[in-house]
Amino acid sequence: MVTKEIKTIKDLPRDDYLTRGHGACPGCGVAIAVKNIARVLGKDTIVYVPASCLIVFSALYPASAFKWPFFYTAFENTGAVISGIKAALKRRGKEVTVVGMAGDGGTFDIGLQALSGAAERNEDVVYVCLDNEAYMNTGIQRSGATPFGAWTTTSPIGKKVQGKREFKKDIDAIVAAHNIPYMATLSIAHPNDFVRKVQKAKSESGFRFLHVLCPCVPGWRSEASKSVAIARLAVETGMWILYEVDHGVEKLTYKPKTLVPVREYLQLQGRFRHMSEEDVEKLQTWICERWKHQFYEEVPVPPCKIEEAKKALIIDEDPLHGP
Amino acid sequence: MYEIRFHGRGGQGAVMAAQALAEAAVLEGYYAQAFPYFGAERRGAPVRAFARIDESKISIKSQVYEPDALVILDESILEIDPISEGLKPDGKAIINTVKKPEEVDLGIEVECGTVDATTIALETIKAPIVNTSILGAFARVVDIVPLESILNAIMNRFGEKLGHQSGVMNAEAARIAYHNTVVGRCKGTRTIVRKKVWLPAWDEIPIGNTLSAREIDGIAVGPGSMAQNLTGTWRTQTPRYSKEKCIRCLRCWFSCPEGCIERQEDDYERWDYRYCKGCGICAEVCPADAIEMVRGVYEW
Amino acid sequence: MVMKVISADHAVAHGARLARVEVVPAFPITPQTLIVELIAEFINDGELDADFLPVESEHSAMSAAIGACAGGARAFTATSSQGLALMHEMLYAAPQNRLPVVMVNVNRSLGAASGIWVEYNDSMPERESGWLQVYIEDNQEALDMVIQAYRIAEDRGVMLPMMVCLDGFVLSHTVERVDFPDQQLVDSFLPKFKPLYVLDPDEPVTMNPITPPEYAMEMRYQLHQAVDESKLVIEKVDREYGALTGRAYGGLIDTYQMEDAEIALIALGTVTSTARVVVDHLRSKGKKVGLVKLRFLRPFPSDELRSIAKNLKALGVFDRSVSFNGFGPVFTETRNALYHLGIPLTNHVAGIGGRDVTFEEVREMFSVIEENAKGHRVKECHWHGLRGGS
Repeated sequence: MVTKEIKTIKDLPRDDYLTRGHGACPGCGVAIAVKNIARVLGKDTIVYVPASCLIVFSALYPASAFKWPFFYTAFENTGAVISGIKAALKRRGKEVTVVGMAGDGGTFDIGLQALSGAAERNEDVVYVCLDNEAYMNTGIQRSGATPFGAWTTTSPIGKKVQGKREFKKDIDAIVAAHNIPYMATLSIAHPNDFVRKVQKAKSESGFRFLHVLCPCVPGWRSEASKSVAIARLAVETGMWILYEVDHGVEKLTYKPKTLVPVREYLQLQGRFRHMSEEDVEKLQTWICERWKHQFYEEVPVPPCKIEEAKKALIIDEDPLHGP
Repeated sequence: MYEIRFHGRGGQGAVMAAQALAEAAVLEGYYAQAFPYFGAERRGAPVRAFARIDESKISIKSQVYEPDALVILDESILEIDPISEGLKPDGKAIINTVKKPEEVDLGIEVECGTVDATTIALETIKAPIVNTSILGAFARVVDIVPLESILNAIMNRFGEKLGHQSGVMNAEAARIAYHNTVVGRCKGTRTIVRKKVWLPAWDEIPIGNTLSAREIDGIAVGPGSMAQNLTGTWRTQTPRYSKEKCIRCLRCWFSCPEGCIERQEDDYERWDYRYCKGCGICAEVCPADAIEMVRGVYEW
Repeated sequence: MVMKVISADHAVAHGARLARVEVVPAFPITPQTLIVELIAEFINDGELDADFLPVESEHSAMSAAIGACAGGARAFTATSSQGLALMHEMLYAAPQNRLPVVMVNVNRSLGAASGIWVEYNDSMPERESGWLQVYIEDNQEALDMVIQAYRIAEDRGVMLPMMVCLDGFVLSHTVERVDFPDQQLVDSFLPKFKPLYVLDPDEPVTMNPITPPEYAMEMRYQLHQAVDESKLVIEKVDREYGALTGRAYGGLIDTYQMEDAEIALIALGTVTSTARVVVDHLRSKGKKVGLVKLRFLRPFPSDELRSIAKNLKALGVFDRSVSFNGFGPVFTETRNALYHLGIPLTNHVAGIGGRDVTFEEVREMFSVIEENAKGHRVKECHWHGLRGGS
């Protein structure tokens, strides 16, 4: 089978394996991510989806939005079920990509054990974490992926405590520590980087992990039209770092000129609206520390002037990044 | 017993409306209950909620099939759902619309109150959440719970959940709607067409909870069959595309959650409006200002 | 014909090898470990062409087995007690999706005040899951039933997962003579696995989407029917296996000295063996006693029990687990089945927490049943071997 390598968005096939008519909320970041991952992975793919928003909006008996063979059973077992499917297909001599698409709860929290098991065994599968930073399907409860300060229904804005008090779990470091062949973080606001990473995951064998930040309109209390803009700001503020670990070699795949103050990111989302100056400062410090610690890069970090930060957005090298 | 069925879209607050109405009835000394129908659909999809009001304790727990009143939070659902099904001949309807009662066709001619709840909500609470405005209209049309109790119930429920100021604004929306409601009789010429559903007997369902892509009784099932859900009915604004301005960057195509933007051979785009939910991301990401969002439902 | 002196755990592993299982996800737990260790050896020695998935939990073992079965492979796993409890959630995914996974559960007491010894309080609560359940009496039956289990589970009219339950230690670690059927013979008896549906991009299917109330009830009823209809297949497969190997087990139920019996005991698992000896002893004293070996808890042989029991003066039911403040599950099922016959019934709870069930205790059970038959007042539920008396 000859397939053209997908290096940029221009190479992306037109065939959709997530059809129109699915029931996702308008502006759903998960739908954007899944649709484009599917375009890269192509026909010869089997998808397993655990309990999540994705299962609910894409597969409701007797209908499905996936044209791929689809399977679902439970919440915490993505790593295990895709291991079993792949074992069976290998025995049948089928060259197939087996992909599991779990949410952040199904990956960071309840699914971590099965994920770790599959990664440690280096199962020949693609594991996608669609991270919208809370249990959105059950009505916006905090998960290990929820950022510091964020409102959720289980980290409410109380008189005594406001929002989540813990920082986001570094699942990427945990997964990378399994020494798997390939892992990467993706953003729906960086299409070329996005499709290149999915392509890379597709062409590798062994355990591959793709982690996509997926803005959630009801959960983040944001405007539907802003989902991609928010995803872009996540990268520009350093809330989301675009990098990959390819056979142990860690590489930043997109480097902002200078980090934009996190406030720019927070103010587009109702889930952060209550945050005190002190908490914003804490989050900002977390970003700066993480950035320096993880990449030892000399990227200027805030506090810096908002105006300079905006300039940094405009002089983006990637022609696909609109201001 | 007085039974009410609410029809809205996910995110419009139909459930909160039913709950506030039940609370208002309780404030009036009645017994009442309110509950949603839990579907699996997300924000924007048609949803239902129910309320019952009675002078003695209500024990029935099943859904409402023959309502005395219909509360319709979103007029567009009339086109996709047989929502007046089961409405009693002497029942009443309350509809969020800019139309007059006689311009609305419910498929059954009943007493009907219409109100432009969307505009009232946008002006009063600064959001298109019409659940409180529509309750004001309800009080005007249905003579069971007076406006004062509705306002008190709104203050209680919304004030407690979203803060006192929010309670005040929501109560104000209901008051304005009460006064702006036009009461008359709607038309009953439309034939109520039930959506086609496949409801097989136990020995007709393919065993194993598994389906391949095919049609059963005219319904598409299995892989890819969600394509028969025309989610374009969800939208309230529509993207307009200018081919002249388009720089063929494909950003809108990549960023559309619905996949309803079709990438042409020459990399210009075409919209399949049957599915567009009107999120506006395409207009937002377009670096060339080739897409603008227009309020309303169009197909260009 | 090959013959070996092996434990039931090893007999099970050989049964899986002869059944040519293809994917074996497993996690170790005493007293099941000997099974998965030997299968791992078979695979590493090239004696079995299968993939061993050393998963990180029983939940993942069942998940991977279900995934493998959905992918079209013959899947096998084994567990015990706490491991089965951890699988509980996943057990329910296999029957409704008609995925005929076969699993051996080495019975072991579950929960607090637990140990590693036999009790049926791990597997019996799972009778609601839609899995077929057979209880094993000896090592030969253990090997034979793994092979039979695939034939039953994969039958087009059944397509349900099956649990082969055997007593921890009393069987799992006890060696006995076991005869091995020839591979060729097993191959002729057990054809290659043909799934109902398979995950395959060339013929895509949607398997197990979220199922709303409009469909779920009909699907449950379908499953309800399927478990019931598996009875005929179980009987047929056992007869066929008997014709091929000379070893048949009676299908759903086996009887001993029941032709003219006036009183009888229903037993299952290894206690059946001890009860046979007690029956022989009582018969030698002229007492018309008999024994019913219950093999399957699901499907439960209600009709078969009715026809066997209809002329009895009294019947006792042995249980190795209890529903607190209720009776043992086998007794509850039996009384349900026999209600309209009006036969005096007693429940005999013994061997709880792995306590040894002795000849004397089984004889005591028959004494109570005999009293009951005479119309004397007896308690409905007896705990045998309990210090302080029940």
